[in-house]
Amino acid sequence: MSLDTISSSPLHTQPASLTTHSVPVEHLDYKYIEKCSDLKYLEKILGVLRSGKEGIYPHLTEFCEKHVEKLDPRSRALRKENFPATSASFSKDEWDQITNELQTWENEIKINDVELNKQLFFCNDVNIPPVRGSNCSIQKVTYSGDKAYSKTRHLPRSYQDWDKFDVEKECAKIDETLTTNESAAIIDDSLLKIQSKIDTTGLTEQEKVVLANREKDKGNEAFRAGDYEEAVTYYTRSVYIMPMTTAYNNRAQAEIKLQRWYDVLSDCERVLQLEPHNTKALLRRATAYKQLENLQMAHDDINAVLRSEPNNMSAQRLLEEISKKINAHIHHKPNKGKKLLIQEVEDDDDDDDDDGDEKDDMPCAGGQSAGENRQAAVRGGMGNAQKKAHSGGARGPTANKYKVKAEGEPAAVANRKNLANGNSTAQPANGRPDSPGEERTESTCASGALPPPLARLKNEGNQLFKNGQFGDALEKYTQAITGFTEAAIDSPEDLCILYSNRAACYLKDGNSSDCIADCSRALELQPFSLKPLLRRAMAYESLERYRKAYVDYKTALQIDSSIQAAHDSVNRITRLLIEQDGAEWRQKLPEIPAVPVSLRQHHTAATSSTHLHKENDTQEAARRAEARFTSLKTEGNELVKKGQYQEAVGKYSECLKLKSDECAIFTNRALCFIKLKRFAEAKQDCNSALNLESSNKKAFYRRALANKGLKDYEACSSDLQEVLRLDTSVQEAQQELDEVTALLKQQRATGSPSQPRRDITITEVEDYDEEGDAVKSSSDGEQKSTSQTINLQPSNAYEFGQALNAARSLNDTAACAQLLRTVPPDSLPQYVSTQLDGHTLSFIMKTLDTHLLASEPGVVYQLLDHLHTTERFSMVLMMLNPDERRQMTQLFEHLCSVDCEDFSQNDIKNLANKYI
Amino acid sequence: MSAPLDKPQVVSHSQKSLNYSLFDSKWIPCSAKFVCLGSSCRGTGLMQIYELQHGGIKLVKETEKTKPIKCGTFGASSLQQRHLATGDFDGNLHVWNLEAPDVPVYSVKAHKEIVNAVDGVGGLGIGDGAPEIVTGSRDGTVKVWDPRQKDTPVANMEPVEGETKRDCWTVAFGHAFNDQDRCVCAGYDNGDIKLFDLRNMSVRWEKNIKNGVCSVEFDRKDIQMNKLVATSLEGKFHVFDMRTEHPTKGFASVSEKAHKSTVWQVRHLPQNRDIFMTAGGAGNLHLWKYEYPAKRSEMDGDGEERGVAGTLNLLQNVTLSTQPISSLDWSPDKQGLCVCSSFDQCVRVLIVTKLNRV
Repeated sequence: MSLDTISSSPLHTQPASLTTHSVPVEHLDYKYIEKCSDLKYLEKILGVLRSGKEGIYPHLTEFCEKHVEKLDPRSRALRKENFPATSASFSKDEWDQITNELQTWENEIKINDVELNKQLFFCNDVNIPPVRGSNCSIQKVTYSGDKAYSKTRHLPRSYQDWDKFDVEKECAKIDETLTTNESAAIIDDSLLKIQSKIDTTGLTEQEKVVLANREKDKGNEAFRAGDYEEAVTYYTRSVYIMPMTTAYNNRAQAEIKLQRWYDVLSDCERVLQLEPHNTKALLRRATAYKQLENLQMAHDDINAVLRSEPNNMSAQRLLEEISKKINAHIHHKPNKGKKLLIQEVEDDDDDDDDDGDEKDDMPCAGGQSAGENRQAAVRGGMGNAQKKAHSGGARGPTANKYKVKAEGEPAAVANRKNLANGNSTAQPANGRPDSPGEERTESTCASGALPPPLARLKNEGNQLFKNGQFGDALEKYTQAITGFTEAAIDSPEDLCILYSNRAACYLKDGNSSDCIADCSRALELQPFSLKPLLRRAMAYESLERYRKAYVDYKTALQIDSSIQAAHDSVNRITRLLIEQDGAEWRQKLPEIPAVPVSLRQHHTAATSSTHLHKENDTQEAARRAEARFTSLKTEGNELVKKGQYQEAVGKYSECLKLKSDECAIFTNRALCFIKLKRFAEAKQDCNSALNLESSNKKAFYRRALANKGLKDYEACSSDLQEVLRLDTSVQEAQQELDEVTALLKQQRATGSPSQPRRDITITEVEDYDEEGDAVKSSSDGEQKSTSQTINLQPSNAYEFGQALNAARSLNDTAACAQLLRTVPPDSLPQYVSTQLDGHTLSFIMKTLDTHLLASEPGVVYQLLDHLHTTERFSMVLMMLNPDERRQMTQLFEHLCSVDCEDFSQNDIKNLANKYI
Repeated sequence: MSAPLDKPQVVSHSQKSLNYSLFDSKWIPCSAKFVCLGSSCRGTGLMQIYELQHGGIKLVKETEKTKPIKCGTFGASSLQQRHLATGDFDGNLHVWNLEAPDVPVYSVKAHKEIVNAVDGVGGLGIGDGAPEIVTGSRDGTVKVWDPRQKDTPVANMEPVEGETKRDCWTVAFGHAFNDQDRCVCAGYDNGDIKLFDLRNMSVRWEKNIKNGVCSVEFDRKDIQMNKLVATSLEGKFHVFDMRTEHPTKGFASVSEKAHKSTVWQVRHLPQNRDIFMTAGGAGNLHLWKYEYPAKRSEMDGDGEERGVAGTLNLLQNVTLSTQPISSLDWSPDKQGLCVCSSFDQCVRVLIVTKLNRV
């Protein structure tokens, strides 16, 4: 009893106390009561006043009550007898709300009730544990001291027997080593015994919902009591039964308390998958990012929150902290950041106290932490209503923003400015300082160039975008667009770019719907531009409008089939759609627009332009481009003659941007690359040229030189032979061939792949006016997208995969052969690993058969010997079609017929068994 | 003090005077119906089912039994079945299918005398493990039953031969957070509270609160023991923090004397374990909230861990009747909805508002 804090209530002990310590009449006085600060005595006075023994003074009684309340609002003396409230106690709205709520519940529960009754006779006992006593391990203990109860478990047991029964002793008898103390004071460690999984077999959906909510409530309660570990356990149980966003969200909050940041991230991401704009999840993820020092991501998340709820206090506070941190990072070096981290942790501890005011929005200092906690946990499922009202209110300005934007851009600019700055003071809608009227004079500028002010805005936007300041970039682009439309410039491609760039900002900010709107506008201006298409696809995907996303990705792939991300996304979406719609999913798709052949891009990724200008080369620009093209080309040729190859490459690249189907430019640039000893790029250019014009001897010759530079003498020699076949009179080719053959022999003899690099003398003098007839001579069938850079020196699995895919999509077995040569055979399985599918395998087989087998059977054997150890190899084998199988058999037949000291016929047979 | 309407309000939804003595009332899970148990003037048992309909309550079914029914619980039945377990004046434990209440689905002569209290666990998704019913009787025994086992209890707690038998007034399950651990708490007329650990088959804790224990309840049955509320004659009740047990001092507790007479019943809000209602002998209801202390346990001088009790906050109190309120039950489905029966032969449906705001 000593621990009990018994407090006697003066109210109830009144009659007794009054007789013993009576209150002098003079104390029943306003002045005395006002001055008196002894709560107990005041309560006594109040008791006397209420009793009416000294006369009835209603006003004095009330005064006394107020004074007591001032001293202690929770005083027991203030408790009065109340009667149940009736409709009269509420305002009409409140009363209606109460009755309506009940009525709704009544209707819902009655439906549930009927449904439950339908399932009445369906019940199974699968997951019910057996009757007590039949499997309880402790009961197998024999009770020596207690014969009466040792025979049967079900006989009554007296209190004394209960007391006598000493589990420890009994256990110790059986197992001497067992020293656990079951009845220890601390039982918290038994928390581990709460199972994180629940057997839900045989439960109806309805029951699962009830159960999941119940576990979540238990989690909320544990959270409030400060048992965060336990809360996490219960939330885990809840999501195990049925994944709900609230449970994930609350678990994230509990994990924040436990400082398990990575768990927080994964939970928030799960919520965001289900609800992309869940504010709480975004805030919690931001907190986790902040703690993990991933400030940029935290910043992005908070911006996303502030966009939907500009007045969210915790978000603003968190944003402030993060901005401070970012600045600290910029100005000082990491050691300063360390210090801040500690400060943050302290902040979090401050939030742990649980007696703050829960009704206010965000009362605590840690911004997100405490206020959010309560919002989430205290209210649990039901309590979210209030929060929703809040967010609903906050949505006002957002909705307003959309409306304004539809009507006129300037207002939208102001609005966005507000959002970006994070303040809510309204700016005048026409507050944009620069007047577009003055810009019109300069809008006559040639060839798609923007008037300088707009160009400046755009460049600023680009710069901000690159710095990750998407909000600010957005603003710049918007200004540029407004200026553009007002200046009435007729340059759809520039406007298209602006829209596309702004869409990118929206996309980065997670504002998918605006992104889609901008992309659509851009595409109206410039049908089949790649970037807007891709961005729109991504936006659709994030909004889970998979069908539209699929169509956009597909369209984008028609334009440029080498976009790996698009391929991946298409695969992913296909899977999702199949899941969603079943096998018929294709029929539900909107029509995929066919892209005109002229627009299919010949992608020049080699130049890796980081600009956002790439959409320039379209038919509108063609006319203007033509002139520019010619001048650029002549300039390039001049530079080559002067020996300024680097500059020449720049000129030629510009040319190719304008017109990418010019064979001569490719060969010329290849020459420059060779002079600059950038052989891989040179080879790439030659390949492009050959794709345009399959019998261009210059291209062959230069590729030979490039191959020689790459020490691929094999390919070099074959290229030179090709040159000689086309034109036997080329002296240089003959000379080169002789030299290369010698080198080749030398290489085979030594077997060492690394030889000292030889200087290659390039003895070529050429005229550079060759574009004329060469352009159209080749077969049009070759005009598919090519010239993707194939990285032939992959350093990791990803690069290898990229290169292999590129090679396969171009059906470039030579490149593949090159690729396979560079890879050490024993690491091949790691490199291919997940990329391996039937087509890739057959492509590799083909390459081995056609390119490598003749020259390097040893390598082929090595590769084959390792390839079959790849993950999922047997699976892939099963998916081969008959043709591909035949090809494989062929390869092994060929391999058998080759004589090589690296392997025997038996080895081949063993290996073949693994493949065929 | 905040404006009166900011506090939770107890609203009288509807009430109905009946022509028999009411002992217990229970919501049928996942429905808008509740069942009233009692004794007719002829000395037979009555079981009535009422349903909320358009702002009122309506009798939908009535069954008469041979013996007055004292208490009931749905706690050991699955949500699919919703079978009611009852204890009657003759010491019988019955389990009824309310759709066909003529014949019990389970029946046992559990005690020699009246069954004062019954509680269930393992059903309705509350508490892992086997469904079990515990009964406490005037004959001094507390027995645990499994509806799958006929005739014999799975556990029996009774005083030693020769010792005076104390009237067991109340029983409650708790600590059922996995399929092995489970505790039964029983309160007796002499003020004894005993906590039986069903896993170890031992008395885990004992306490005397001086006055007869009218009602005990854990704040949650299906978590590790967290809090236990015990109400007594003479208007006092105790809240024990069951998380930390000191080797000599036991569990920390806070007590409150709020009612002028017996506290007949305590029931925790199913949606929030820290809020509970006590029902008093003077026909009043008190709604409480338990506030946790900053730290729930601390080290005493000997290096032993000792619990720290929190505080109690009265949220609301109302007076419904001049007669004792004998039973109270929160709806498991609708937060704030409750039914109570009193000795003035009246059943009342109440709504407590703003519970999610406290």
